[in-house]
This record gives sequence, C-alpha cells and structure tokens, in this order.
Amino acid sequence: MSTDSNSLSKSYGYKTVLKWLKQSKKKPFAFQTEAWQYYAEGYSGMVNAPTGFGKTFSMFLAVVIEELNIINDLKTTTTTTSKKRTGSGLKLLWITPLRSLAKDLARAMREVCDELELDWIIGVRNGDTSQTDKLKQKKQMPEVLIITPESMHLLLAQKGTISNFSNLRCIVADEWHELIGSKRGVLAELAISRIRGLLLEKHPERLLRIWGISATIGNMEEALDVLVPYEEVLKVTVKADIEKKIDIRSVLPDHIDMLPWAGHLGHKLAHKLLPIIHKSKTTLIFTNTRGQAELWYQNLLKLDENLAGLIAIHHGSIDHELRNWIEDAIHTGALKAVISTSSLDLGVDFKPVDTVVQVGSPKGVARFLQRAGRSGHSPYETSTIYFLPTHALELVEASAIKEAAKTHDIESRQPVVMAFDTLIQYLVTLAVGDGFDDKLIYKEIKETFAYRELLDSEWAWIMQFITSGGDSLAAYNEFNKVELVDGLWKVISRQIAMRHRLHIGTIVSDAMLKVKYLTGGYIGMLEESFIAKIKPGNSFALAGRVLEFIMVKDMTVLVRKSKLKTAITPSWLGGRLPLSANLGVILRRKYNEALENNKADEELSFIFPLFERQAKVSHVPKDDEFLIELIDTKDGHHLFAYPFEGRLVHEVLAALIAYRIGRLKPISFSIAMNDYGFELLSEQPIPIDETNMKELFSPENLSEDIVASINATEMARRKFRDIACISGLVFQGYPGKYVANKHLQSSSSLFFNVFSDYDKHNLLLRQAYDEAFYQQIEEPRLAAALQRIQQSKIIMIRTNRYTPLCFPIKVDSLRENMSTEELSQRIERMTAETEKKSRRKNDHRL
Amino acid sequence: MTIDCRGEELILDKERAIYWPSKRVLIISDIHIGKSAHFRKHGIPVPSTLGQKDLSRITKLLDSYPTDLLLITGDMFHNKMNSDVEDFKAWRQEHPELKVALIKGNHDDLKASDYAGLDIEIHEKEMLMFPFRFIHDKPQTTDAYFNITGHIHPGITIYGKARQQLRLPCFYFSDTCAVLPAFSAFTGLSNIKPGKGDVFYAITPTQVVAV
Repeated sequence: MSTDSNSLSKSYGYKTVLKWLKQSKKKPFAFQTEAWQYYAEGYSGMVNAPTGFGKTFSMFLAVVIEELNIINDLKTTTTTTSKKRTGSGLKLLWITPLRSLAKDLARAMREVCDELELDWIIGVRNGDTSQTDKLKQKKQMPEVLIITPESMHLLLAQKGTISNFSNLRCIVADEWHELIGSKRGVLAELAISRIRGLLLEKHPERLLRIWGISATIGNMEEALDVLVPYEEVLKVTVKADIEKKIDIRSVLPDHIDMLPWAGHLGHKLAHKLLPIIHKSKTTLIFTNTRGQAELWYQNLLKLDENLAGLIAIHHGSIDHELRNWIEDAIHTGALKAVISTSSLDLGVDFKPVDTVVQVGSPKGVARFLQRAGRSGHSPYETSTIYFLPTHALELVEASAIKEAAKTHDIESRQPVVMAFDTLIQYLVTLAVGDGFDDKLIYKEIKETFAYRELLDSEWAWIMQFITSGGDSLAAYNEFNKVELVDGLWKVISRQIAMRHRLHIGTIVSDAMLKVKYLTGGYIGMLEESFIAKIKPGNSFALAGRVLEFIMVKDMTVLVRKSKLKTAITPSWLGGRLPLSANLGVILRRKYNEALENNKADEELSFIFPLFERQAKVSHVPKDDEFLIELIDTKDGHHLFAYPFEGRLVHEVLAALIAYRIGRLKPISFSIAMNDYGFELLSEQPIPIDETNMKELFSPENLSEDIVASINATEMARRKFRDIACISGLVFQGYPGKYVANKHLQSSSSLFFNVFSDYDKHNLLLRQAYDEAFYQQIEEPRLAAALQRIQQSKIIMIRTNRYTPLCFPIKVDSLRENMSTEELSQRIERMTAETEKKSRRKNDHRL
Repeated sequence: MTIDCRGEELILDKERAIYWPSKRVLIISDIHIGKSAHFRKHGIPVPSTLGQKDLSRITKLLDSYPTDLLLITGDMFHNKMNSDVEDFKAWRQEHPELKVALIKGNHDDLKASDYAGLDIEIHEKEMLMFPFRFIHDKPQTTDAYFNITGHIHPGITIYGKARQQLRLPCFYFSDTCAVLPAFSAFTGLSNIKPGKGDVFYAITPTQVVAV
C-alpha cells in the first residue's frame, strides 16, 4: 500500500489527476506535487502558499489521488466488477474560519469529483447549514465535510460521535494563519485532539494526517507545532516558491493643507477615488470599522449619483442573505465597487476585482498584503492596492508598509495558550455528547499546544468547577451540571445541554438585535446599546440605507425607509486592531527621514511641511530619541508621549505611568491613546520633569506595577466579559433567538465582583488577568519598549499649543480613567463640578 | 446620612438600607435570597458565602439600629426554596423577636406556607404607614402617600472633569417616590436618567453622599 517517492508519480491516481489538469491546459505547481508526495508518504504538515496559486488543490488533490489509488488497487485485486466503494463515510475534514468560504470551496471540490468521476459527496457544516442537511449528514456522513471550528464542537456535542470519524484520513485546517491567534484556533486544536484520540482508540492501525494551509506569517514553524503538536508524527512544511507582485500607491491630495491632521474617515480625499473606481472593473474598498464603511457608502453616493446601484456595502453586521447576494454580484461583475471591512479579507477569489483600496491605516503588514492580494489573483498577475490616508501622519505608514512589503517583514501570530474558559466549554461539550473519561481526556489535552503547561492542580480545579461548582472548601450539594455516570462524566439535564449547545463558540458579541423592515425583509444587526440610545422616529444608516426607527419588538428592530439622505451611523464595538510591532519599528525609522525631504519617497516628501511645523513648535523624534510633550491648555495639563507601539501597549503604558506618577502625589488622570502615542490629562499639574522621567519609564518592577495599575483600570474586568460567556457563566441570546429566563439573568461584571470578593483562586479570574497581561498588555513588547526608552535620548518639550503629532491622539481617543485618589475624595471633588456634569450627560446622548 | 422626607427623619445607610427612627423600622429591598443557589442549580458556580454575607450585613444593621420591624420592599426571595433559603431560616431563628414584613415583588413566588414557616408577614401589593406607602414598584398614579420602592436596582454614573466617570449604587428620590438600592451584593445596577428635581444619594464604600 505505501508509496515511496518514485511510485507516487507512477501511480494510477497521480496520472489520472495530471491528465485531468492537462485537459484544461494546467500543470501542477512544484509545491503542489511536493505536498501530494509528502501526504502519500504519511506526513502531516503545513502548506505555505499565497492565495491564487491553488493552495486548496495542494491538499484536496492529495486525498483524491490516494482515493483513486485505493479504488484502482481494489479493482485489480478483487474480482468483483463494479467499482466498489472504499468504505463510505467521512474521509476528509476541511476546517475553514469563514462560513462564506465553504460554499465556493464545496463547488470547486464538486467540480473536481465530477470530472474525475469520483462519487464523493462534498458536505458543508456550519451555522447556516439547514436542519434537513444536518439530519442527512447524521444518517450518512459525506466523504468531505467543510466545517468551522464551532461546528466541529457541535459534532462532538452529539451522541455517538465516533461513528462520524472512523474512516477519517485527513484533517485540513485552511487559512490556519487566521485561526492560530484566537481562541477559535484553540477550539480547532481541541477538536483535532479528540478526533485523533477517538481514532487511535478504535482503529490504532489507521493513519490520520493533519495538514494546515497558511499564508506567510512570522512564526511558520510554531504554527505547524500548534496544529500538529504530536512528536511521533512525521512533519514537514511545504513552501511555495512563488512571489506575488504587489503595486502600492498612495492617494494624495493636491496640497498638504487639504489633508487633515487628525480623523479617521478620509472623506476629503473621496473625490480622488472616483476616477480609480471608474477606470477599474471592480474595486474593493477596505475600511477598518463597520461605521466607517457605512459613512463611505453614503459619501460616495453623494459625490457621484451615477454610482447608485453599482456600489454595495459588505460587513459582519449585514444580514447573510444580503451578503450572499453581494458576493454573487461581485462574481458576476455587476458591481463597480464594494465597501467592506475585514469581512472580505479572506475568502473566495472574486475574478472581476482588479483594484483594492485601503482607507486608513491597515495596522499591520500582513493584513495590508492580504488585502492587496484580493485583486489580481491569477498566478503572476500584479495586485494593485491604493492607500488612502485619513490623516496626514498615516502617510508615514504608507511609506513604512512599502518598505516592509519589499523586505517581507511580516508579523507573527501568537497562539493562544491556557485558555481555561475554552477548556471548560470543551469539557462540557464532551459531557453533553458521549461523556468523557477524565484520565483519558487529561492525557489528550496535555498533548495539545494550548494546554501543554496545564498543571494537575489546575485540571483538578476545572473538574471541580464543572462537577461540584467551586473549590473543595464548599460542598454545594445542589450544584447540577456534569455528573459521573458509569465511569463517564456526562450532562444529564436536558435544559443545561440545550443551553450549552446554543453557546458553543468563542466569539462573544454584544447583545445584537436583528433589523427588519416593517413590511418584512432583514437588513442586518445592531448592538443593543445603540438602539437603547435612539428614539422612535430617529434615523440611522445600515447596509447603506437610511432607516427610520419605529420600535423594538421580540428582539427585532422594526424600521422603515427614511426620507432623509444621511443619518447617524451606529458605531459598532470592537474591530479596532492595534499597530503591529513590526510596523512600529519601521515607522520609527521612517521618522528619521521625515526632515530630509527626500523626493524619492513620495509620501514622506509630501508631508514634509507638516514635519517642518512639528519641528518648529516641538520636535520630530528620531528612532534613538523619545519625545514627551507637556502641554497646558484650558482643559487641563496634558502629557503626550510617543512610543509608536500600538494602541494596546499605549493603553497599558499610560496606566502604568499614571500609576507611578500617582505614587509621587495623589492625582487623577484621564487617559487617551492611539497607535502612535498616549495622553495623560489631569486637572492638576503633572509632576514629571527631566530628572524623574527615566525612573517613571523604568522597566524595573514592571510586572508588579502593571498588576497594580491595570487593577485600577479594570482591564481584566473587560477581558472577563468574554471569559464569562465562553465558560458558560453568562448567557447571551443569539441574535433573534432570545432565550428568556429572568431568574438566570446576570452580567459578567457581577461575576467578576463576586469572584474577586469571595473566590480569589478562581482560575477564570486569573485567566482574565493573564489575558489582560499577555494579549492586551503584550508585556514582552512593553518591556522591550521601556528598555528602548531607557537607552533613548529624552526630549521634553513644554508648550501651550497642540502639536501636529499630538493632534490625532487628542481627537481619535478611547478614554480610560486612572486614579490614586481615595474614592470618596474623588467623588467629593467630582460632585463639586456639577455644571460640568450636566453638560457631559448631554454629550453622551445622541 | 440623615434626611428629611415629608417631615419624617430617615437615615440612609451605606449598607443599602433606610432606617426610620421614629417607628423603629429598617427598610431594605431586593435581597434576592436564593439567587446564588438558583444559579448553582443550573450549573453556574456562584459561591454560597455570598448569601451568608448578605445575612450578616442585615445582622450588623440590626445591631446598629434598634429595630422592631424589618421591612422588605420586594424581591426578598429569588425563585424557589433552596439551600440559601435554609441559611435564611437559620438566621431567622436567631432573631425570633424581630418582626419581618415583605411586600411582594416580581420574584417572590414561594408558597404561602413557606412564608409562614419563615415567620414573614406578607403584603401582596403594598403596605401603608403614613406618610409612606411601601410598594415594590412605583405605582402609575400618585396620591397623598410618598412611595418607597425597590425593584429597579438604581445606579448612577458620576461624571468628572477630564472625562472621568464612576458608577455607584444609589438611593433615588423624586418628588413622589424613593427607590432603594438593591440590598444583595449579587445584583447589577440599572442607570437612572435624572428628571428635574430628582435627588440621588450615591453609596461609596465608606459613606453615602448626595449628588
């Protein structure tokens, strides 16, 4: 049966596939045949290839070739004439991060099977799969199942799981780079570990191969290790030796003064986009937030009415039928332009798309290149991407990204480890399904990358958490969740099982309401908090339509078309990515050149006047300098600092510095930050000068000080929101599927308080702090930044006017508070400002 | 903090209670006894020390204020009889001389015999003690009585200079009605939009302050 390197190319299956490719005048790429070879030899591994070069076929055809060979062997060895099935059931499990990918993948795979006369059924399983299809699959699994990580867990939550997987030969994790950095990646790891365990138990003689397909990331080797952590398995990385050509162009205004110093919309340059749209077949316009996408849609229509009906908007809050329609329209080339958020980052290739526009900072090199790759997919075609800055300083990013694209300086994706919430959810999932043997599962979990550091004591705690409801000190006899039945841990209560199934997954959204026309027809989804703020009769924009709010009924927002042309746009939470560390480094270096006025660097040369101004009123920091601006205005005393380490690191750094200053004297700050720097604002003078500056930014006692400072800023509490949902403490109804249960209503923040006060050793609480520490704070990055600052030349500028550098922070800010004053003291002082209070209140309403 | 309400002296305590000295009445609302056990029963681990802490807070209040009647303006019991309610029973037996009256709230649906067993006097709708009407939720119409209610778990956000904000539980007084903060620590807050003439007393860890 086994094939060595020579015999594969001579095998029946290989020749059949090659012949079939030849018919459509195609030839396999070297990395594809390499992957087929390794697969045939029993390897697991990772295929690293750019989009548009048939990475799907690198794995799919590998399994097809194997099948063709088996069929051929059977034909020659058995005397029965008809082509006998090689054992039916699931053979290939194909994990995709996106539902929208599944449809097109399935279509492509079906085509192959049809043309090769392989009687395989290609199934799709995700949140959109109909109940009838699910039942059909339950009776007879298709040969290939395209699935999301969440749906894999839903399969594990069924009874009789093993029968689904007993013929499985290969699991493929497509777009693995998208999954690895999130808890969804952990879901995939866990599901794979269980499926592998089931197979080893029942059919130890069978070989399960696990392959990933990934775009280039900084930590390719680690990515493979996360997906295939098993030491006894043969592993290999297959890298495509193909380079995608990318053409990056900045959209520049006629004069620097037309580019605002701050902002995030970029509307002033919108008119420059029209000629680009008109001369292209189809243009994809990427924005960073859903709100931005809505505004751009409105704005483009205002600029050019001829575009009506030719442009569309696509983002995660738009109803999926509408999204499907848009995707089909892109395929057929019916649309001139589509405004999108990351919802179109991945996925199927849209042939008519020949131009991509990025509005505002893409925050990272990998993301920018990925978006660029959405145009010109055919191999060897050049991808064209336009960068449209929303404020002047972003042009430096354009310049930095051009450089990074040349040097292939691409970010790593850090895998999530020790996510106790996800583990708790997984264990309950297994308990809802066939039940589990804790010793066996512990062994499996310890083998995964995510939980290889798990301690016996932590495992014991988690088991207690789901079986007895807390630590050993308190015996809660009424606790009812996972129970031991005939040696297996199971969920008996049907109610708990049902609720758990509804909440499998790790993506936690704000309470979302469906938006529907009074006359019928869904438009999309909105956050509850937004609806709470608007009154009946008011209008808002969604999916490019202006809608009049009528009422909320049964968790659905009823609307009618508004006569208004424009309206307020909801701001959806989330989706704000920080600047990556890579880009930060290159960006700092670019500032060295800012005052050189080098004509060869188009972007830098363009914003030279702005830097001249900055140099005049303050200073332009070089990469061996660290700039602090102390600005006094009528708002109070501001401190601006510019580490260029991204929003998240700045958030922590700001809290840290605020805390350390607070030790010098009791003081309250409000904190603002963007990707370039942060601001501390206080009504009292800030006691910082050249003598204590390095001490305040010292990396010493970093961990202790961070714990003390993030404690106050409640970062962990925010992280706990997701953790509480994932671990099943808090239930969020699905959009439109509101489960009413007034007696079980609670909030994550309440649990956070309760555990903090009464259950300090709660691992979920610890996870909240750890997540805040490693993901939000990125402690290593922070420590490195502080080290760098220690070695930098400190430049302190005192002025009473805002500078070009500080302006974007001032305007584009997410604020937080930090105080070392006694609470009552603070309240007393704050209540003294009554007139301010009433004004603020009005500010917050719409 | 001591205030004057319709000519009566009321003490607002930071333990989320109102004491009415002239009648020796202690008023609390929304204790939600049994909530933590109810959650545990449905597979959500909540420490039981929580409910015990609430009871010990009542004991402490009774020690500070000479009380004949403990009045609960609704949502005393979260759902059904459970282990938390057993804890309350034990507590009740330690205070046999105390009169306990409950004005029923939307959560209170124990059996009449259960209430009797706990020696609790039940008022289905309201209880009148001039000038006050004690009731779970504010009535639609107003009359000569000043309403003292619970139900909404009021909270207030205080905004300061430099965009600072704080969220605290509070007592909320309008011209016809006072709303008590929820007594239990295992309850959330709902923000109140202030109307004209409304007064708030925010509860900080150390004291009650008017805002």
